[in-house]
Amino acid sequence: MTAHRSWIPALALAAFLALAPAGFPADASELRVGYSSDAVTLDPANHRSRVTEGIILNMYDALLARTDDMRVVPELAESWSQINPTTYEFKLRRGVRFHSGDEMTADDVKYTYDRLTKPNAMGGQTSPRQSLVGPLKDTEIVDKYTVRFVLREPWPIFTAYVPFNQIVSKSFTEKVGTPAMATQANGTGPFKLVEWRRGDAVILERFAVYYGGSPDLPPVGPARVDRVIFKIIPETASRVAALLAGEVDIIDELPHHAIKQLQANPRTKVLATNGTRSFFMPLNNTRPPFNDKRVRQAANHAVDRKLVIDRILSGLAVPLDGIISPQSYGFNANLKNYDYSTDKAKRLLAEAGHPNGIDVTLDVDNPFKDQAEALAQMLTRAGIRTKVQIWERTAMADLWKNPQTNGRDMTFQSWGDGALDPVGIFVPVLRTKDRGNYSGYGNPEVDKLLDAANTETDTAKRSAMYQQAQAIVNDEAPLIFLWLPQDVYGASARLKGWQPSPRGVIKLHEAAVD
Amino acid sequence: MTPLKLAERILQLVPVLLGIAVIAFVMMALTPGDPVEIMLGDARSTPEQRDALRHDMGLDRPPLERFFVFLGNALSGDFGLSFFHRRPVMDVILERVPATVELTLAALFIALATAIPLGVLAAVRRNGWLDRAATIGSLLGVSLPGFWFGILLIMLFAVHLQVLPVSGRIGFGQEVPPVTRLLLIDSLIAGRLDSFAAALRHLIMPALTLGLAMGAILMRVTRTAMVEALAQDYIVFAEAKGLSRARILGRHALKNALIPTVTVAAIETGSLLGGNMIVETVFGWPGLGRLVVEAIFARNYPLVQAAVLLYAATYVMLNFAADLLYTALNPRVRL
Repeated sequence: MTAHRSWIPALALAAFLALAPAGFPADASELRVGYSSDAVTLDPANHRSRVTEGIILNMYDALLARTDDMRVVPELAESWSQINPTTYEFKLRRGVRFHSGDEMTADDVKYTYDRLTKPNAMGGQTSPRQSLVGPLKDTEIVDKYTVRFVLREPWPIFTAYVPFNQIVSKSFTEKVGTPAMATQANGTGPFKLVEWRRGDAVILERFAVYYGGSPDLPPVGPARVDRVIFKIIPETASRVAALLAGEVDIIDELPHHAIKQLQANPRTKVLATNGTRSFFMPLNNTRPPFNDKRVRQAANHAVDRKLVIDRILSGLAVPLDGIISPQSYGFNANLKNYDYSTDKAKRLLAEAGHPNGIDVTLDVDNPFKDQAEALAQMLTRAGIRTKVQIWERTAMADLWKNPQTNGRDMTFQSWGDGALDPVGIFVPVLRTKDRGNYSGYGNPEVDKLLDAANTETDTAKRSAMYQQAQAIVNDEAPLIFLWLPQDVYGASARLKGWQPSPRGVIKLHEAAVD
Repeated sequence: MTPLKLAERILQLVPVLLGIAVIAFVMMALTPGDPVEIMLGDARSTPEQRDALRHDMGLDRPPLERFFVFLGNALSGDFGLSFFHRRPVMDVILERVPATVELTLAALFIALATAIPLGVLAAVRRNGWLDRAATIGSLLGVSLPGFWFGILLIMLFAVHLQVLPVSGRIGFGQEVPPVTRLLLIDSLIAGRLDSFAAALRHLIMPALTLGLAMGAILMRVTRTAMVEALAQDYIVFAEAKGLSRARILGRHALKNALIPTVTVAAIETGSLLGGNMIVETVFGWPGLGRLVVEAIFARNYPLVQAAVLLYAATYVMLNFAADLLYTALNPRVRL
């Protein structure tokens, strides 16, 4: 039986090594983040993923940055001005270095924006971020430290989108080529790439000669920790465990059921900020029963938003009477509130010719079934007898792309927009036949307002247009308005100087650990 | 095994892979969902931009043409670009293979090291306390969900005792030059005991989660086969000849009883080599399973097709390896 004996020393060795003190390096200047997903690429121009951007932002800076209250401030640019409705001029900060040591100049800025704008500019492919530069026609170099952006037509939110486009090095990108940009990095940001272990970790270290970042985003200067490690831990329970074990200092997407546990533990804390993703329930406006405004209003009166927020979302959400965030530009604070009232709902249903109520089906994708079931019960109590049907997310999205023909009643949807401008949420969800318009709502008056606002350069006028559109939609109730959840993070008590950003990204320039 | 037989086996791969390629393509084509819409999510986009992306992905061509282009390129080893990573699919897949192989080997080791001795002992002491305990243990091993067991291990060893890390393959500063890309082996090659210990500590919990579940199945198979083998005439004959107990069990009974164990182990290994989504997710293990499941949800057609072909080839090769093992275990078996 010699064959059996060989594994005994091996197991003994394994047990010894396993039970030896774990010895996690207690390096005070190493900050680890337990992150729910890995980056898909490290190329700032080749993705449309928020989690990817969250990692990239630590290595790459943009011309402008956003403060936590969503003001646009200079970053790699020193200043900017609008020369005429279609031309912006940016003065660059001097002496900014890429991680490779090269100086950043107007050449790099033009190269970056050409790569985003021009068809097939990325090794034969077109950047998926093209729409983030709007109607940008060309980028002109005025001198070594001055560039001009020329638009085909006025686009008032051009500067609001500049922070989304990080500057790459022309010489480096040309040298390594677009495919290699996916796994290598050479930015101007506070951290440089050490190693990307795909699916496992992204390891960054402080860039010693960092120019300091935006003067409007203190502290200005190099990053405060020597090293940052994004550890990819997709499972929520494991992420919480890693925080409790002291293996990581920040975790994203903290589940609500773990909030009390972390608050009670002296070594951990909970951080939250208003998110950028609104939730609502599209009602199919193109067919009975929801083609009747009274039925849609009844549905809005039937749901107790506050109860769901308190009981299911741990109180971490803001109820909405529309679909855009209270922090958003152009938010209308005077919308009519559909108070929770089963009686009002029943009365409206009866007025619409349904004294005995109606039967409908609510389509939902699996992660939201708890919320959907609670809402369905409330609707049922008010006479809108609702059956919940659970779908795989993509299949459901496919079905609801065409509410005109899908024969469905209602669904559960959310839409996010890091720029916090109505153009990001309101337009795709409510403009006639736009991308996220699952309700099939179409109102020429609303469309006219949205289209005019899209090119209106007077900020006050533009805001008024969006507010008017919100008032119309609030009255017509094509959706059941729900809430804006907060983004919740877990953190270790030793973490200092970092607050979650309403943009939903984790930028660690200012973070420190004791 | 003649070279002719070997060639025949390899040739058999061709129709299998072709069939799998057709099935994978048709299934992906029939699944609702648009990769461009998924990639863009809620992001601002214009119809022209969506068309450009669709063109980049080749989705503006009719399905039949797409299939033959895929097939033609695949023959020359080009599986196209992953829609989301926008890098060659094979690069994306192959960089995840070492982690999966290392975890599979470790799990297989744990499974065999527990299943065979326990299975033999349970069969020899049939209905004794050890047999009963092993039966209950294997029932638990089969029925406990890996997700639950994995989290339990984490709570105990990582959170309470703090002796094992929650996730990953190796810590920072412990990496070793890649040779085989299996960290246990590479750290030994580099002579780095600290790295070896670190890699082992990272590996233990995921390997136990997978290995004990697999061991539970193998134990029951081994026990049953062993019970049957021990009732055979040749065992009675061996006993009558006065052979030692160890020799009878090891040489005569076990060798014959191992054939079903090898079969089941090959199948289980094949499925582990596909990557285990659940264990990889719980332990943040950078293997294939998570990558492929994410690709399915994202309708990342090129990645799914390439992975499915790789899985099929792996299964065929493993079955072949199992057949070779049969002949070693029992010379009466001929290929």
